[in-house]
Amino acid sequence: MAGFLIKRFLQAIFVVLCVTLLVAYAIRLTGDPALMLSQGAGSVTEDDLARIRTGLGLDRPFYVQYLEFLGGLFTLDFGRSFLGGTPVNQLIGRALPATLALALASLVVSIVISIPLGIASATRQGRWPGQVIRVLSLVGLSFPNFWLAIMLVLVFSISLQWLPPSGMEGWQSFLMPALTMGIILTATNVRLVRTAMLETLKQQYVTVARAKGLSERVVLYKHALRNCAIPLITYLGIQFGGLLGGIVVVERVFNWPGLGTLAFQAVADRDYPVLQGVIVVLSMLIVLVNLIVDIAYGLVDPRIRTE
Amino acid sequence: MTRWNRALRGALLTSALALVTAAQAQPAGTLTISSPQDPGSWDPIDTFLVNWSAVANNIFDGLVARTPDLKIIPGLATEWTISDDGLTYTFKLREGVTFHNGEPFNADAVKYTFDRLLGEEGAKGPQQSNYNAIDSVNVVDEKTVELKLSRPDPVLLTKLAGYGAMIVPPAYIAEKGDEYFNTHPVGTGPFTMTSYTARDAVELKAYDKFWGDKAKLENVTFRFITEPSTALAELQSGRVDMVIPPSVPIGSIPTIEADSKLEIVSTPGATVYSLRFNTRDGITADPRVRKALIMAVDRATINDAILAGQAKPIVSFQSEQTFGNDPSLEAIPFDTAGAQKLLDEAGVKPGTTLQIDVRGNDSTFNEVAQAVASYLSTVGITATIKPYETNVLLNDIIPAGRTGAMWQQAWGAWTFDYDNTAYLMYHKGERWNPYGDDPKLDALLESQRGMTNAQEREKVLQEIARYVADQALEMPLYNLNQIYAINKRVKNFIAPPDSRLRLTDVTVE
Amino acid sequence: MSLIADRPHSRWAVFRSFELVAGLVLVGGIGLAVILSPWLFPDNGMGVNLLARLRAPFSDWSHILGTDPLGRDVLGRVVAGGRISLLVGVASVAGGAAIGVFMGLVSGFYRGVWDMIVMRFADVQLALPFILLAITFIAILGGGLFNIIMLMIVSQWVQYARLVRGQVLALREREFVLSARSFGVSNFNLIWHHLLPNLLGPVIVLITLNVATNILLESSLTFLGLGVDPSTPSWGGMLADGRTYLQTAWWVSVFPGLAILLTVLGLNLLGDWLRDRLDPTGRTRQ
Repeated sequence: MAGFLIKRFLQAIFVVLCVTLLVAYAIRLTGDPALMLSQGAGSVTEDDLARIRTGLGLDRPFYVQYLEFLGGLFTLDFGRSFLGGTPVNQLIGRALPATLALALASLVVSIVISIPLGIASATRQGRWPGQVIRVLSLVGLSFPNFWLAIMLVLVFSISLQWLPPSGMEGWQSFLMPALTMGIILTATNVRLVRTAMLETLKQQYVTVARAKGLSERVVLYKHALRNCAIPLITYLGIQFGGLLGGIVVVERVFNWPGLGTLAFQAVADRDYPVLQGVIVVLSMLIVLVNLIVDIAYGLVDPRIRTE
Repeated sequence: MTRWNRALRGALLTSALALVTAAQAQPAGTLTISSPQDPGSWDPIDTFLVNWSAVANNIFDGLVARTPDLKIIPGLATEWTISDDGLTYTFKLREGVTFHNGEPFNADAVKYTFDRLLGEEGAKGPQQSNYNAIDSVNVVDEKTVELKLSRPDPVLLTKLAGYGAMIVPPAYIAEKGDEYFNTHPVGTGPFTMTSYTARDAVELKAYDKFWGDKAKLENVTFRFITEPSTALAELQSGRVDMVIPPSVPIGSIPTIEADSKLEIVSTPGATVYSLRFNTRDGITADPRVRKALIMAVDRATINDAILAGQAKPIVSFQSEQTFGNDPSLEAIPFDTAGAQKLLDEAGVKPGTTLQIDVRGNDSTFNEVAQAVASYLSTVGITATIKPYETNVLLNDIIPAGRTGAMWQQAWGAWTFDYDNTAYLMYHKGERWNPYGDDPKLDALLESQRGMTNAQEREKVLQEIARYVADQALEMPLYNLNQIYAINKRVKNFIAPPDSRLRLTDVTVE
Repeated sequence: MSLIADRPHSRWAVFRSFELVAGLVLVGGIGLAVILSPWLFPDNGMGVNLLARLRAPFSDWSHILGTDPLGRDVLGRVVAGGRISLLVGVASVAGGAAIGVFMGLVSGFYRGVWDMIVMRFADVQLALPFILLAITFIAILGGGLFNIIMLMIVSQWVQYARLVRGQVLALREREFVLSARSFGVSNFNLIWHHLLPNLLGPVIVLITLNVATNILLESSLTFLGLGVDPSTPSWGGMLADGRTYLQTAWWVSVFPGLAILLTVLGLNLLGDWLRDRLDPTGRTRQ
């Protein structure tokens, strides 16, 4: 087990290193921040540009800039934004909780929808409600999410005026973005719950519980549900990584003060320190979640370790 | 009724109440504005963004100020004289002005501001090059300063009304440092900045020791919202009172007009749009082809149909109010047959393709470009439209000469002087002129820069416009209004033509 | 009637699955309309008529679904727009699957250093947030059909590689492979005739689902202003353009939205049905 842990851990570090190198390099291809910072000025000479670059530290060789960035990672110092010099860790420190909170809320929304639907579809297997539920959950998966977001805003913010259309203030502002993100996961989770449920319902103890005369609801929610919790939770770990990657569009529509919004603006502004900070933090999170999931799998199912 | 049912009902009721409070209106005396972009730094020497001045024009003052009808009026200087050679400006400063931190405003502050702008600190930012006609600033006495110029700058006074020339507090910056000043700006304006959350929001409060008429509003909040449709949704749900340009696309105007709580306030602005040509390579190197392409497009119909009366056709690349505009200059007429004939003469075969580069996020211009492409197809030209991320187009594609045969040029000359446009667009080696190399045009552009006689200079500027039209260097399209969408509870708002809001007189109900 | 319906092994029994029938109808119907679009709408939905802007739907037989802000026929654009969406979906998946399956086969079969490299590569790629990466690269390369397809290929081959590798690892120890080997069957033959047919099932499932995903992705990128030429009709582009008009001219964006929804739904239904048949252990869960 220890060997497996060490190996997985070293792999994770290797991945993070590659990501940082790739990101730092790719970002420097996106264009010259000095041009960007001087674009409103009158006549700009090559000297002016060179001076701005020196001011930003971009005149140094790539490896120096990269090592500085890498060194900063250990102290969580990502440098300062090219736009106004706000420390990047301050920006990320505010945006990361917002993104994490939204991702968590999305998972919760998805679970809240999926469990009853999954159970219903398992117990009504083969009959029409089962079919309808399966198709409905696929409809959720098939929506272009930005379009769904705009529609939700139209109904709940503009027509009914119930929910704030953007920003993060209070629990109300979580509802629409979390639903938009969560609904994508629902199809998979319904399927997961259904499969687990069907499997459990065949087990002997359920038959025993039924025979004891326990009501169907108690059997389902107490016994069966407990048994499909493990695959569901493990799987949620995997989804969490995917959620973080896909959150950009939804954050933009809802003007969510998270990492996606921050990064999107940073691309436009050529704000290298902010952009590389955000991407690396997101990547580290994804790697971390995958690592935990893998280790959890390894603990549960020893066969995986050997592979 | 069971215990649970009751509890559930209670919970529902509470959440319904909470929902109602969420959608409640703003407190009185607070104005909330949606702005598309956070400039990151509020230091006047750091920025070039119009969205900077929408906020900062309320915090800072220049020596002079400019009204919404483009008149130069006294600001921190009460009066001024300009020497006959245009090289010495003398300003009498206003008495009894204090910065928001209590620091007194005086001649030293003015000198400090310009020394900083023109010195090392200013060199890191984009504003310095706008002011480098200024050679030195001398303190004559406590309330008098003298600006010495190395060459005449006919638009200097206008430039002193904004951006890099906003007066900053010397002791405050010396004590707190430049980094701190970026995010905690202090000026002499009618509002002080009480909080700034990067990429999120800015809060302003009325400054009770302001030298002029004090602000009628208590608080102003600016929220940074990138997506125009999100800003519109905020406006419609009553959580934002005003959406400033360019976040009100033409397509959303009917929506706003249909909402009884909202209205559109618009004013002719400085922003002009054109499709410029690659005059060096391909078919558009031939002036006949350029002229033909212009003739093929019914620009008047595009204006009427797409721009909903919010734009005026232009003949040269400037608005009507711009110094240098020539009302007698005539537009190249819409003439499909004539265009076809010119193209045949130039040997352009039907089915020839060309590319139009546009900003991907400008939904109004995207429609215009598609209409232009469809007009071009009537003379056998197949135009494809390539959307770019705005900053990529502005920084990598245009200056590097990597555009298609045509590209979108949007330009807001906030000084309202054609020189500010023409020189940068047509002079050899300028950033916005990647292809042109015309000694005659260069000479014209240079000649007017030294002129102190306004009438003579205007004549040369008009000649430049005529020359550019004659060479068909661009397809002039339109001058777009500055469009503001506001909640009707906002009163006394006069739309400025340059997005530089000054909210002193505005009130909310 | 009832007799046939009750026979579980009837040749037509598969069509009793609602998912299959609905999926086939949706994908087939939309696919057919899109393929026939050059004949159905000779102007490819690009005919601008500034005098007929924003006509409401169902009021005029020449524009059944109304017109957009440039007076173009919405129905024509929806049908022609499917070409871009389907092209992006199919081309990106074909490329991604081809590369991924090859990589997966090679690394699973030969293992060793090659396997190490491919799998670490895959790890790195899975750790990168895709959309952010896409935005960054499009900022470098510019938008456009080709770039978008390439980007999707680069980001998705990993899924196929991992899936195939896992299966090859399991299959290569199976009896039929071992015995084929002992008969001296060449590696190429072994892979081509014995391994590949056995692992195609889950790959087909993944392909179906990824076509759906990529159609959505294309529309997202176009929505962010990073997509294809706006004068070429595409569903994502129509949605993005139409959002400004949503409250005054809903038809401009609702119909392309429905087109995406129904196409993707059809593909997902098919994928779901295929998964039940071809991938009972659920390796292709996303």
